[in-house]
Amino acid sequence: MLYSIRLALKSLWFEKWIHMLTVVTIGVGLFVLGLVFFALYNIEGVASRLPERFSVTVFLSDRTGEREIDQLKARLSRDPIVESVKFISKDEALVELRSSLKDAAYILEGLDENPLFPSLEIRLKENGFDRKRVEALIDELRRLRSVDDVVYGEDLLGTIYTIRSGVKTLSAGVILLFSMAIVFVCYSTVKILFYRRKEEIEIFKLLGATRAFIRMPFLIEGGTLGFMGGLLGGAGTYGLYRFINGLVVTDFPMLGEMQLPLGLVAALPLGGAVLGIIGSTIALGRLKF
Amino acid sequence: MIGFKDVTRIYDNITALRKVSFGIEKGEFVYITGPSGAGKSTLLKLIYLAEKPDEGTISIAGWDTDTLKESSIPYLRRNIGVVFQDFKLLANRTVYDNIALALRIRGYGETEIKERVHDALKLVGLRHKTDSFPAALSGGEQQRITIARAIVGDPTVLLADEPTGNLDVDNAAGIMKIFKEINARGTTILIATHNRELFRNTGLRVLWFDSGNLVADEEG
Repeated sequence: MLYSIRLALKSLWFEKWIHMLTVVTIGVGLFVLGLVFFALYNIEGVASRLPERFSVTVFLSDRTGEREIDQLKARLSRDPIVESVKFISKDEALVELRSSLKDAAYILEGLDENPLFPSLEIRLKENGFDRKRVEALIDELRRLRSVDDVVYGEDLLGTIYTIRSGVKTLSAGVILLFSMAIVFVCYSTVKILFYRRKEEIEIFKLLGATRAFIRMPFLIEGGTLGFMGGLLGGAGTYGLYRFINGLVVTDFPMLGEMQLPLGLVAALPLGGAVLGIIGSTIALGRLKF
Repeated sequence: MIGFKDVTRIYDNITALRKVSFGIEKGEFVYITGPSGAGKSTLLKLIYLAEKPDEGTISIAGWDTDTLKESSIPYLRRNIGVVFQDFKLLANRTVYDNIALALRIRGYGETEIKERVHDALKLVGLRHKTDSFPAALSGGEQQRITIARAIVGDPTVLLADEPTGNLDVDNAAGIMKIFKEINARGTTILIATHNRELFRNTGLRVLWFDSGNLVADEEG
Protein backbone atom coordinates (compact mmCIF):
# COMPACT_ATOMS: atom_id res chain seq x y z
CA MET A 1 0.00 0.00 0.00
CA LEU A 2 2.77 2.40 0.97
CA TYR A 3 4.57 1.63 -2.26
CA SER A 4 1.34 2.21 -4.23
CA ILE A 5 0.97 5.62 -2.57
CA ARG A 6 4.58 6.42 -3.43
CA LEU A 7 4.01 5.38 -7.05
CA ALA A 8 0.87 7.51 -7.24
CA LEU A 9 2.60 10.57 -5.76
CA LYS A 10 5.56 10.09 -8.08
CA SER A 11 3.25 9.95 -11.06
CA LEU A 12 1.40 13.06 -9.87
CA TRP A 13 4.72 14.88 -9.93
CA PHE A 14 6.04 13.42 -13.20
CA GLU A 15 2.83 14.09 -15.10
CA LYS A 16 2.15 17.40 -13.38
CA TRP A 17 0.78 19.25 -16.41
CA ILE A 18 -1.85 16.69 -17.31
CA HIS A 19 -2.73 16.41 -13.62
CA MET A 20 -2.97 20.18 -13.20
CA LEU A 21 -5.35 20.39 -16.13
CA THR A 22 -7.45 17.59 -14.66
CA VAL A 23 -7.52 19.19 -11.20
CA VAL A 24 -8.64 22.55 -12.66
CA THR A 25 -11.38 20.85 -14.73
CA ILE A 26 -12.60 18.86 -11.73
CA GLY A 27 -12.29 22.00 -9.59
CA VAL A 28 -14.59 23.95 -11.93
CA GLY A 29 -17.09 21.08 -11.91
CA LEU A 30 -17.05 20.84 -8.13
CA PHE A 31 -17.29 24.64 -7.84
CA VAL A 32 -20.56 24.48 -9.82
CA LEU A 33 -21.73 21.61 -7.59
CA GLY A 34 -20.74 23.68 -4.55
CA LEU A 35 -22.86 26.58 -5.82
CA VAL A 36 -25.81 24.26 -6.40
CA PHE A 37 -25.57 22.87 -2.86
CA PHE A 38 -25.10 26.41 -1.55
CA ALA A 39 -28.31 27.52 -3.30
CA LEU A 40 -30.18 24.43 -2.11
CA TYR A 41 -29.04 24.93 1.46
CA ASN A 42 -30.19 28.53 1.53
CA ILE A 43 -33.54 27.85 -0.12
CA GLU A 44 -34.11 25.09 2.42
CA GLY A 45 -33.14 27.62 5.09
CA VAL A 46 -35.69 30.13 3.83
CA ALA A 47 -38.35 27.42 3.69
CA SER A 48 -37.54 26.20 7.17
CA ARG A 49 -37.69 29.75 8.54
CA LEU A 50 -41.16 30.23 7.05
CA PRO A 51 -43.02 29.38 10.28
CA GLU A 52 -41.31 32.31 12.00
CA ARG A 53 -43.00 34.65 9.54
CA PHE A 54 -46.03 32.60 8.96
CA SER A 55 -49.15 32.33 11.05
CA VAL A 56 -52.67 31.04 10.49
CA THR A 57 -55.59 33.21 11.61
CA VAL A 58 -58.83 31.36 12.28
CA PHE A 59 -61.84 33.71 12.31
CA LEU A 60 -64.57 32.32 14.50
CA SER A 61 -68.25 32.99 14.06
CA ASP A 62 -69.92 35.38 16.51
CA ARG A 63 -72.03 32.57 17.92
CA THR A 64 -69.06 30.48 19.05
CA GLY A 65 -69.30 29.79 22.73
CA GLU A 66 -66.43 29.79 25.22
CA ARG A 67 -66.56 26.04 25.63
CA GLU A 68 -66.23 25.53 21.90
CA ILE A 69 -63.33 27.95 21.75
CA ASP A 70 -61.56 26.11 24.59
CA GLN A 71 -62.13 22.77 22.88
CA LEU A 72 -60.74 24.10 19.61
CA LYS A 73 -57.73 25.62 21.38
CA ALA A 74 -57.07 22.32 23.12
CA ARG A 75 -57.41 20.40 19.86
CA LEU A 76 -54.98 22.76 18.10
CA SER A 77 -52.47 22.74 20.94
CA ARG A 78 -52.23 18.97 20.62
CA ASP A 79 -51.43 19.17 16.90
CA PRO A 80 -47.76 18.28 16.31
CA ILE A 81 -47.21 21.15 13.86
CA VAL A 82 -48.66 23.84 16.13
CA GLU A 83 -46.32 25.81 18.35
CA SER A 84 -48.91 28.04 20.10
CA VAL A 85 -52.53 29.17 19.88
CA LYS A 86 -53.70 32.59 21.00
CA PHE A 87 -57.32 33.64 21.31
CA ILE A 88 -58.11 37.22 20.26
CA SER A 89 -61.55 38.40 21.30
CA LYS A 90 -63.66 40.85 19.29
CA ASP A 91 -62.68 43.65 21.69
CA GLU A 92 -59.00 42.85 21.55
CA ALA A 93 -59.20 42.77 17.77
CA LEU A 94 -60.76 46.20 17.74
CA VAL A 95 -58.07 47.62 20.05
CA GLU A 96 -55.41 46.13 17.80
CA LEU A 97 -57.06 47.57 14.72
CA ARG A 98 -57.39 50.92 16.32
CA SER A 99 -53.71 50.98 17.23
CA SER A 100 -52.64 49.87 13.78
CA LEU A 101 -54.73 52.58 12.11
CA LYS A 102 -53.02 55.25 14.30
CA ASP A 103 -54.11 58.68 13.04
CA ALA A 104 -56.85 57.16 10.85
CA ALA A 105 -58.53 55.50 13.83
CA TYR A 106 -61.30 58.10 13.68
CA ILE A 107 -62.96 56.08 10.91
CA LEU A 108 -64.00 53.54 13.56
CA GLU A 109 -65.81 56.15 15.65
CA GLY A 110 -69.11 56.00 13.79
CA LEU A 111 -69.55 52.27 14.38
CA ASP A 112 -72.44 51.22 16.59
CA GLU A 113 -71.17 47.78 17.24
CA ASN A 114 -67.87 45.90 16.86
CA PRO A 115 -67.85 44.47 13.31
CA LEU A 116 -64.81 42.28 13.91
CA PHE A 117 -64.78 38.56 14.60
CA PRO A 118 -63.07 36.76 17.44
CA SER A 119 -60.13 34.75 16.17
CA LEU A 120 -57.46 32.23 17.00
CA GLU A 121 -53.91 33.03 15.94
CA ILE A 122 -51.90 29.87 15.36
CA ARG A 123 -48.09 29.85 15.26
CA LEU A 124 -46.52 26.84 13.62
CA LYS A 125 -43.53 24.85 14.80
CA GLU A 126 -40.20 25.47 13.04
CA ASN A 127 -39.23 21.87 12.61
CA GLY A 128 -41.66 19.58 10.90
CA PHE A 129 -43.09 22.45 8.89
CA ASP A 130 -44.74 20.73 6.00
CA ARG A 131 -46.96 22.35 3.41
CA LYS A 132 -49.26 19.33 3.05
CA ARG A 133 -49.81 19.05 6.80
CA VAL A 134 -50.50 22.80 7.09
CA GLU A 135 -53.04 22.61 4.27
CA ALA A 136 -54.67 19.52 5.81
CA LEU A 137 -55.08 21.37 9.10
CA ILE A 138 -56.57 24.40 7.37
CA ASP A 139 -59.03 22.22 5.43
CA GLU A 140 -60.08 20.58 8.67
CA LEU A 141 -60.61 23.97 10.37
CA ARG A 142 -62.63 25.31 7.43
CA ARG A 143 -65.06 22.42 7.77
CA LEU A 144 -65.86 23.31 11.40
CA ARG A 145 -69.20 25.01 12.07
CA SER A 146 -67.66 27.51 14.49
CA VAL A 147 -65.07 28.67 11.95
CA ASP A 148 -66.01 31.52 9.68
CA ASP A 149 -62.79 31.75 7.67
CA VAL A 150 -59.14 30.80 7.76
CA VAL A 151 -56.52 33.18 6.47
CA TYR A 152 -52.89 32.30 5.88
CA GLY A 153 -50.16 33.25 3.44
CA GLU A 154 -51.17 30.91 0.64
CA ASP A 155 -49.37 32.92 -2.01
CA LEU A 156 -46.10 33.22 -0.09
CA LEU A 157 -46.22 29.56 0.85
CA GLY A 158 -46.99 28.56 -2.72
CA THR A 159 -44.22 30.71 -4.22
CA ILE A 160 -41.58 29.51 -1.80
CA TYR A 161 -42.48 25.89 -2.33
CA THR A 162 -42.63 26.25 -6.11
CA ILE A 163 -39.18 27.84 -6.12
CA ARG A 164 -37.88 25.16 -3.78
CA SER A 165 -39.28 22.37 -5.89
CA GLY A 166 -37.97 23.94 -9.12
CA VAL A 167 -34.52 24.49 -7.68
CA LYS A 168 -34.48 20.92 -6.34
CA THR A 169 -35.34 19.44 -9.74
CA LEU A 170 -32.85 21.65 -11.55
CA SER A 171 -30.18 20.90 -8.95
CA ALA A 172 -30.70 17.16 -9.28
CA GLY A 173 -30.07 17.49 -13.02
CA VAL A 174 -27.01 19.71 -12.58
CA ILE A 175 -25.58 17.46 -9.83
CA LEU A 176 -26.02 14.36 -11.98
CA LEU A 177 -24.57 16.01 -15.08
CA PHE A 178 -21.54 17.51 -13.34
CA SER A 179 -20.87 14.37 -11.30
CA MET A 180 -20.85 12.37 -14.51
CA ALA A 181 -18.57 14.95 -16.12
CA ILE A 182 -16.11 14.70 -13.21
CA VAL A 183 -16.17 10.90 -13.35
CA PHE A 184 -15.52 11.11 -17.10
CA VAL A 185 -12.58 13.51 -16.64
CA CYS A 186 -10.98 11.13 -14.11
CA TYR A 187 -11.77 8.16 -16.35
CA SER A 188 -10.04 9.81 -19.33
CA THR A 189 -7.03 10.94 -17.31
CA VAL A 190 -6.45 7.51 -15.79
CA LYS A 191 -6.82 5.94 -19.22
CA ILE A 192 -4.22 8.30 -20.69
CA LEU A 193 -1.86 7.68 -17.75
CA PHE A 194 -2.35 3.95 -18.11
CA TYR A 195 -1.37 4.00 -21.78
CA ARG A 196 1.62 6.20 -21.01
CA ARG A 197 2.78 3.63 -18.46
CA LYS A 198 1.89 0.57 -20.51
CA GLU A 199 5.50 -0.56 -20.85
CA GLU A 200 6.03 -0.19 -17.12
CA ILE A 201 2.86 -2.14 -16.39
CA GLU A 202 4.02 -4.88 -18.74
CA ILE A 203 7.25 -5.18 -16.71
CA PHE A 204 5.26 -5.21 -13.47
CA LYS A 205 3.20 -8.11 -14.79
CA LEU A 206 6.24 -10.08 -15.93
CA LEU A 207 7.73 -9.67 -12.46
CA GLY A 208 4.61 -11.20 -10.88
CA ALA A 209 2.47 -8.17 -10.00
CA THR A 210 -1.19 -8.91 -9.34
CA ARG A 211 -3.98 -6.85 -10.91
CA ALA A 212 -4.66 -5.25 -7.54
CA PHE A 213 -1.01 -4.15 -7.25
CA ILE A 214 -1.15 -2.58 -10.72
CA ARG A 215 -4.54 -0.92 -10.16
CA MET A 216 -3.91 0.54 -6.71
CA PRO A 217 -1.68 3.51 -7.73
CA PHE A 218 -4.21 4.52 -10.39
CA LEU A 219 -7.06 4.43 -7.90
CA ILE A 220 -5.03 6.51 -5.45
CA GLU A 221 -4.15 8.91 -8.27
CA GLY A 222 -7.80 9.26 -9.34
CA GLY A 223 -8.89 9.83 -5.75
CA THR A 224 -6.14 12.39 -5.17
CA LEU A 225 -7.02 14.28 -8.36
CA GLY A 226 -10.67 14.40 -7.26
CA PHE A 227 -9.66 15.51 -3.76
CA MET A 228 -7.44 18.31 -5.09
CA GLY A 229 -10.17 19.38 -7.52
CA GLY A 230 -12.52 19.44 -4.52
CA LEU A 231 -10.14 21.68 -2.59
CA LEU A 232 -10.08 24.06 -5.54
CA GLY A 233 -13.88 23.93 -5.95
CA GLY A 234 -14.35 24.41 -2.20
CA ALA A 235 -11.99 27.39 -2.18
CA GLY A 236 -13.91 28.88 -5.12
CA THR A 237 -17.27 28.40 -3.41
CA TYR A 238 -15.98 29.90 -0.16
CA GLY A 239 -14.39 32.81 -2.04
CA LEU A 240 -17.64 33.58 -3.82
CA TYR A 241 -19.54 33.40 -0.53
CA ARG A 242 -17.12 35.87 1.05
CA PHE A 243 -17.42 38.12 -1.98
CA ILE A 244 -21.24 38.12 -1.71
CA ASN A 245 -21.08 38.76 2.02
CA GLY A 246 -18.45 41.44 1.83
CA LEU A 247 -19.33 43.47 -1.21
CA VAL A 248 -22.72 42.69 -2.64
CA VAL A 249 -24.44 42.77 0.71
CA THR A 250 -24.20 46.57 0.80
CA ASP A 251 -26.29 46.76 -2.36
CA PHE A 252 -28.46 43.70 -1.74
CA PRO A 253 -29.01 43.41 2.03
CA MET A 254 -31.28 40.39 1.59
CA LEU A 255 -28.22 38.39 0.43
CA GLY A 256 -26.69 38.96 3.85
CA GLU A 257 -28.88 36.20 5.25
CA MET A 258 -27.23 33.59 3.05
CA GLN A 259 -25.07 31.03 4.80
CA LEU A 260 -22.35 28.66 3.63
CA PRO A 261 -21.98 25.68 5.96
CA LEU A 262 -18.34 24.69 6.45
CA GLY A 263 -19.45 21.07 6.14
CA LEU A 264 -20.29 21.73 2.50
CA VAL A 265 -16.81 23.17 1.83
CA ALA A 266 -15.26 20.11 3.50
CA ALA A 267 -17.56 17.73 1.63
CA LEU A 268 -16.39 18.92 -1.80
CA PRO A 269 -12.85 17.40 -1.58
CA LEU A 270 -14.31 14.18 -0.18
CA GLY A 271 -16.98 14.06 -2.89
CA GLY A 272 -14.27 14.78 -5.46
CA ALA A 273 -12.16 11.90 -4.14
CA VAL A 274 -15.11 9.51 -4.36
CA LEU A 275 -15.93 10.62 -7.93
CA GLY A 276 -12.23 10.32 -8.83
CA ILE A 277 -12.05 6.76 -7.51
CA ILE A 278 -15.27 5.87 -9.38
CA GLY A 279 -13.81 7.28 -12.64
CA SER A 280 -10.54 5.38 -12.14
CA THR A 281 -12.35 2.15 -11.28
CA ILE A 282 -14.44 2.35 -14.45
CA ALA A 283 -11.35 3.14 -16.55
CA LEU A 284 -9.34 0.23 -15.06
CA GLY A 285 -12.30 -2.10 -15.46
CA ARG A 286 -12.51 -1.35 -19.16
CA LEU A 287 -8.76 -1.63 -19.81
CA LYS A 288 -7.31 -4.98 -20.71
CA PHE A 289 -4.11 -5.83 -18.91
CA MET B 1 10.52 -28.96 -12.20
CA ILE B 2 9.56 -28.11 -15.80
CA GLY B 3 7.68 -30.42 -18.13
CA PHE B 4 6.56 -29.91 -21.74
CA LYS B 5 4.13 -32.45 -23.21
CA ASP B 6 3.28 -32.22 -26.92
CA VAL B 7 3.37 -28.42 -26.79
CA THR B 8 2.52 -26.55 -29.97
CA ARG B 9 2.47 -22.79 -30.45
CA ILE B 10 1.28 -21.20 -33.69
CA TYR B 11 1.47 -17.52 -34.71
CA ASP B 12 -0.67 -16.52 -37.71
CA ASN B 13 -0.36 -19.94 -39.40
CA ILE B 14 3.38 -20.11 -38.62
CA THR B 15 4.25 -22.92 -36.22
CA ALA B 16 6.81 -21.58 -33.71
CA LEU B 17 6.88 -24.84 -31.69
CA ARG B 18 5.60 -28.20 -32.87
CA LYS B 19 4.66 -31.01 -30.44
CA VAL B 20 7.60 -30.34 -28.13
CA SER B 21 8.09 -32.66 -25.16
CA PHE B 22 10.90 -32.64 -22.57
CA GLY B 23 11.45 -32.47 -18.83
CA ILE B 24 13.92 -30.52 -16.69
CA GLU B 25 14.85 -31.53 -13.14
CA LYS B 26 15.31 -29.21 -10.20
CA GLY B 27 18.79 -27.65 -10.11
CA GLU B 28 19.62 -28.47 -13.75
CA PHE B 29 21.53 -26.04 -15.98
CA VAL B 30 20.15 -26.32 -19.50
CA TYR B 31 20.94 -24.51 -22.74
CA ILE B 32 18.33 -24.05 -25.44
CA THR B 33 19.87 -23.42 -28.79
CA GLY B 34 19.18 -23.26 -32.50
CA PRO B 35 19.17 -20.76 -35.34
CA SER B 36 17.03 -17.60 -35.39
CA GLY B 37 13.34 -18.52 -35.61
CA ALA B 38 13.95 -21.95 -34.11
CA GLY B 39 11.48 -21.24 -31.27
CA LYS B 40 13.90 -20.53 -28.38
CA SER B 41 12.28 -17.28 -27.23
CA THR B 42 8.79 -18.73 -27.70
CA LEU B 43 9.73 -21.61 -25.43
CA LEU B 44 10.85 -19.22 -22.68
CA LYS B 45 7.70 -17.08 -23.11
CA LEU B 46 5.61 -20.20 -22.64
CA ILE B 47 7.44 -21.01 -19.42
CA TYR B 48 6.89 -17.57 -17.87
CA LEU B 49 3.35 -17.56 -19.26
CA ALA B 50 3.66 -14.47 -21.42
CA GLU B 51 1.97 -16.77 -23.92
CA LYS B 52 -0.15 -19.88 -23.75
CA PRO B 53 0.30 -23.07 -25.74
CA ASP B 54 -2.19 -23.76 -28.54
CA GLU B 55 -1.86 -27.48 -27.84
CA GLY B 56 -0.24 -29.61 -25.15
CA THR B 57 0.48 -29.04 -21.48
CA ILE B 58 3.26 -27.28 -19.59
CA SER B 59 3.91 -27.94 -15.92
CA ILE B 60 6.16 -25.66 -13.87
CA ALA B 61 7.03 -26.08 -10.20
CA GLY B 62 3.84 -28.02 -9.53
CA TRP B 63 1.59 -25.70 -11.59
CA ASP B 64 -0.13 -26.92 -14.72
CA THR B 65 -1.15 -24.66 -17.63
CA ASP B 66 -4.29 -26.77 -18.20
CA THR B 67 -5.71 -25.97 -14.78
CA LEU B 68 -3.93 -22.70 -13.97
CA LYS B 69 -6.30 -19.79 -13.33
CA GLU B 70 -5.56 -16.34 -14.76
CA SER B 71 -5.42 -14.94 -11.22
CA SER B 72 -2.70 -17.45 -10.24
CA ILE B 73 -0.29 -16.43 -13.02
CA PRO B 74 1.37 -13.62 -10.98
CA TYR B 75 2.14 -16.09 -8.17
CA LEU B 76 3.65 -18.57 -10.60
CA ARG B 77 5.79 -15.82 -12.14
CA ARG B 78 7.23 -15.05 -8.71
CA ASN B 79 8.85 -18.51 -8.84
CA ILE B 80 10.51 -17.65 -12.13
CA GLY B 81 13.26 -15.09 -12.61
CA VAL B 82 13.64 -13.85 -16.17
CA VAL B 83 16.63 -12.15 -17.78
CA PHE B 84 15.13 -10.47 -20.81
CA GLN B 85 17.03 -9.97 -24.03
CA ASP B 86 16.05 -6.28 -24.06
CA PHE B 87 16.61 -6.00 -20.26
CA LYS B 88 13.18 -4.43 -19.55
CA LEU B 89 14.58 -2.03 -16.96
CA LEU B 90 12.56 1.02 -15.93
CA ALA B 91 14.44 4.03 -17.26
CA ASN B 92 13.06 6.50 -14.69
CA ARG B 93 14.08 4.42 -11.69
CA THR B 94 17.45 3.85 -10.09
CA VAL B 95 19.25 0.52 -10.12
CA TYR B 96 18.11 -0.01 -6.52
CA ASP B 97 14.46 0.66 -7.33
CA ASN B 98 14.54 -1.54 -10.43
CA ILE B 99 15.75 -4.51 -8.40
CA ALA B 100 13.62 -3.70 -5.36
CA LEU B 101 10.51 -3.67 -7.57
CA ALA B 102 10.57 -7.47 -7.82
CA LEU B 103 10.41 -7.65 -4.01
CA ARG B 104 7.88 -4.86 -3.53
CA ILE B 105 5.55 -6.75 -5.84
CA ARG B 106 5.97 -9.73 -3.51
CA GLY B 107 5.11 -7.56 -0.50
CA TYR B 108 8.51 -7.59 1.26
CA GLY B 109 9.28 -4.98 3.93
CA GLU B 110 11.79 -2.22 3.16
CA THR B 111 14.44 -3.51 5.58
CA GLU B 112 14.53 -6.93 3.95
CA ILE B 113 14.38 -5.38 0.50
CA LYS B 114 17.48 -3.30 1.28
CA GLU B 115 19.37 -6.35 2.48
CA ARG B 116 18.38 -8.54 -0.47
CA VAL B 117 19.03 -5.86 -3.11
CA HIS B 118 22.51 -5.27 -1.73
CA ASP B 119 23.23 -9.02 -1.72
CA ALA B 120 22.03 -9.32 -5.33
CA LEU B 121 24.10 -6.32 -6.40
CA LYS B 122 27.12 -7.80 -4.63
CA LEU B 123 26.67 -11.06 -6.53
CA VAL B 124 26.66 -9.26 -9.89
CA GLY B 125 29.48 -6.94 -8.77
CA LEU B 126 27.59 -3.66 -9.06
CA ARG B 127 27.07 -2.48 -5.49
CA HIS B 128 28.60 0.87 -6.37
CA LYS B 129 25.89 1.50 -9.00
CA THR B 130 22.96 1.46 -6.55
CA ASP B 131 21.85 5.02 -7.26
CA SER B 132 22.59 5.08 -11.00
CA PHE B 133 19.89 5.13 -13.65
CA PRO B 134 19.91 2.45 -16.37
CA ALA B 135 20.79 4.96 -19.11
CA ALA B 136 24.07 5.69 -17.30
CA LEU B 137 25.14 2.01 -17.43
CA SER B 138 26.89 0.00 -20.14
CA GLY B 139 25.10 -2.89 -21.87
CA GLY B 140 26.99 -5.42 -19.73
CA GLU B 141 26.08 -3.57 -16.54
CA GLN B 142 22.42 -3.36 -17.54
CA GLN B 143 22.47 -7.09 -18.21
CA ARG B 144 23.87 -7.74 -14.73
CA ILE B 145 21.22 -5.49 -13.16
CA THR B 146 18.59 -7.55 -14.98
CA ILE B 147 20.14 -10.70 -13.52
CA ALA B 148 20.14 -9.15 -10.04
CA ARG B 149 16.44 -8.31 -10.41
CA ALA B 150 15.71 -11.84 -11.63
CA ILE B 151 17.39 -13.56 -8.69
CA VAL B 152 16.61 -11.16 -5.85
CA GLY B 153 13.35 -12.97 -5.02
CA ASP B 154 15.06 -16.40 -4.83
CA PRO B 155 13.18 -17.95 -7.77
CA THR B 156 13.23 -21.70 -8.27
CA VAL B 157 13.79 -21.25 -12.00
CA LEU B 158 15.90 -18.66 -13.83
CA LEU B 159 15.34 -18.05 -17.54
CA ALA B 160 17.71 -16.02 -19.69
CA ASP B 161 17.06 -15.06 -23.28
CA GLU B 162 20.30 -14.43 -25.21
CA PRO B 163 21.99 -13.04 -22.06
CA THR B 164 25.30 -12.46 -23.79
CA GLY B 165 23.93 -11.43 -27.16
CA ASN B 166 25.18 -7.84 -27.12
CA LEU B 167 28.19 -8.29 -24.90
CA ASP B 168 31.94 -8.55 -25.55
CA VAL B 169 33.79 -11.74 -24.61
CA ASP B 170 34.92 -10.56 -21.16
CA ASN B 171 31.48 -9.32 -20.18
CA ALA B 172 29.88 -12.53 -21.50
CA ALA B 173 32.29 -14.65 -19.44
CA GLY B 174 31.46 -12.58 -16.36
CA ILE B 175 27.74 -13.09 -16.88
CA MET B 176 28.13 -16.85 -17.34
CA LYS B 177 30.16 -17.02 -14.14
CA ILE B 178 27.28 -15.37 -12.29
CA PHE B 179 24.82 -17.91 -13.73
CA LYS B 180 27.00 -20.77 -12.54
CA GLU B 181 27.11 -19.32 -9.04
CA ILE B 182 23.31 -18.99 -9.00
CA ASN B 183 22.94 -22.56 -10.25
CA ALA B 184 25.30 -23.76 -7.52
CA ARG B 185 22.75 -22.44 -4.99
CA GLY B 186 20.17 -24.89 -6.41
CA THR B 187 18.33 -22.66 -8.87
CA THR B 188 17.28 -24.35 -12.12
CA ILE B 189 18.64 -22.38 -15.08
CA LEU B 190 17.54 -22.28 -18.71
CA ILE B 191 19.54 -20.18 -21.12
CA ALA B 192 18.38 -19.57 -24.68
CA THR B 193 21.30 -18.74 -26.93
CA HIS B 194 22.52 -19.13 -30.47
CA ASN B 195 26.12 -18.78 -29.31
CA ARG B 196 27.52 -22.33 -29.27
CA GLU B 197 30.73 -21.19 -27.57
CA LEU B 198 28.78 -20.73 -24.36
CA PHE B 199 28.07 -24.42 -23.90
CA ARG B 200 30.85 -26.09 -25.89
CA ASN B 201 32.66 -28.62 -23.69
CA THR B 202 30.73 -27.65 -20.58
CA GLY B 203 29.13 -31.09 -20.18
CA LEU B 204 25.79 -29.34 -19.57
CA ARG B 205 22.51 -30.34 -21.18
CA VAL B 206 21.62 -28.70 -24.50
CA LEU B 207 18.20 -28.76 -26.20
CA TRP B 208 18.55 -28.18 -29.93
CA PHE B 209 15.67 -26.61 -31.82
CA ASP B 210 15.11 -26.07 -35.51
CA SER B 211 11.99 -24.61 -37.13
CA GLY B 212 9.97 -25.21 -33.98
CA ASN B 213 11.02 -28.85 -33.56
CA LEU B 214 13.12 -30.26 -30.73
CA VAL B 215 15.78 -31.99 -32.81
CA ALA B 216 18.28 -33.04 -30.17
CA ASP B 217 18.65 -33.34 -26.40
CA GLU B 218 22.32 -33.90 -25.54
CA GLU B 219 25.34 -32.85 -23.49
CA GLY B 220 27.31 -29.80 -24.60
